[in-house]
Amino acid sequence: MENIFIESTQYTPEISLDAKNGVIDLIGKSYPENTFDFYGPLLKWVHQYIETKISTIDKTSINIELIYFNSSSSKLLFDFFDLFEAASTKHNIVVNWIYAAENENALEAGRDFIDDFDVLKINLVVKDQIEIST
Amino acid sequence: MENPNLLSELEHLKISFDGTAQKLIKNLRRQEIIMARSDKRQRIEYDELQKKYDEVALLNREIEDTQREVVFMMGTIGEFRSRETGNHVQRVASYSKLFGKLIGISETDAELLKQASPLHDIGKIAIPDAILNKNGPLTNKEFETMKNHAQLGYDMLDFSDRPILKTAAIIALEHHEKYDGSGYPNALKGENIHIFGRITALADVFDALGSKRCYKEAWEDVRIFDLIKEQRGRHFDPKLVDIFFENIEVFLEIRDKFSDD
Repeated sequence: MENIFIESTQYTPEISLDAKNGVIDLIGKSYPENTFDFYGPLLKWVHQYIETKISTIDKTSINIELIYFNSSSSKLLFDFFDLFEAASTKHNIVVNWIYAAENENALEAGRDFIDDFDVLKINLVVKDQIEIST
Repeated sequence: MENPNLLSELEHLKISFDGTAQKLIKNLRRQEIIMARSDKRQRIEYDELQKKYDEVALLNREIEDTQREVVFMMGTIGEFRSRETGNHVQRVASYSKLFGKLIGISETDAELLKQASPLHDIGKIAIPDAILNKNGPLTNKEFETMKNHAQLGYDMLDFSDRPILKTAAIIALEHHEKYDGSGYPNALKGENIHIFGRITALADVFDALGSKRCYKEAWEDVRIFDLIKEQRGRHFDPKLVDIFFENIEVFLEIRDKFSDD
């Protein structure tokens, strides 16, 4: 399956979907004009990755470093993590929630995700070091 | 008789229903988390924005005040050197703004004119003391030197792109031009003289005639008014002279307000 790379814009993050190495990166800000349209292809890719590709990958890493995101993006992240939560009973999946030390909002959002997902492994990573993990 | 198929189907439906209900409850809870998080963030952001906005407004005011004060102070420096009496600069500035408003330039331009007006004679700081403060009439040669202050003032101010200093440069250069083309430094005529120059010419002369100077006593009002009438269309823009006499009380109020006594 194909890799996808999308450059960041003022309103959307840089997105890298690497099926070959099992690495997903979301970096930057996320407040698109139409969040669900913007992330549609990404969710589709994730579905396909879980169905056809994930079993051939030793470890899937999802690195999320969002300094700012709107409520709709937050909802989408929950949906996105739902897919991986379901897959993580059978596969090795790790989410790294990366935040800058001074960005309290990002840290709190990361904690909300940890509270909400029992199986999916989510690490809170303060820039360049691992702090807490579930 | 029980139907095992029906029972297992019901059981299946129940499980599926429970699953969906659980999912809905979960989604509702998430929605609440998302909203709460978003409310909190918006509050912080809006507080921050308001704080920043106040800071910017304060800085803007600070910049404007500083600019105004520095310009006024430069005007005062010029005034001190030519030993002109107290409030001449302030009166000319106020007359000028009034003229501007009455002749219909924008409020912004009228305010700019008022703020820049104190610099109209700034070129005089480059004129030797012996000429600037001479007791008695100037010789022709001395007068020629004195006339340089218009161009000198322009040269001092024209380097800047600030509207206030650009305005001041125009005023400095053109406030000795005369409507009939007999003024200096460029012998401009009529409306070729910038409206700021025409206004300052009348405001400056009106005030100077009414004040005591090192070379003359203060004139009586009647004599001043006669001269202004006589110079209508010669030294002064006729429209401004008309405006002056139509609104004479307001001009005299300004004179009283910033009186030297």
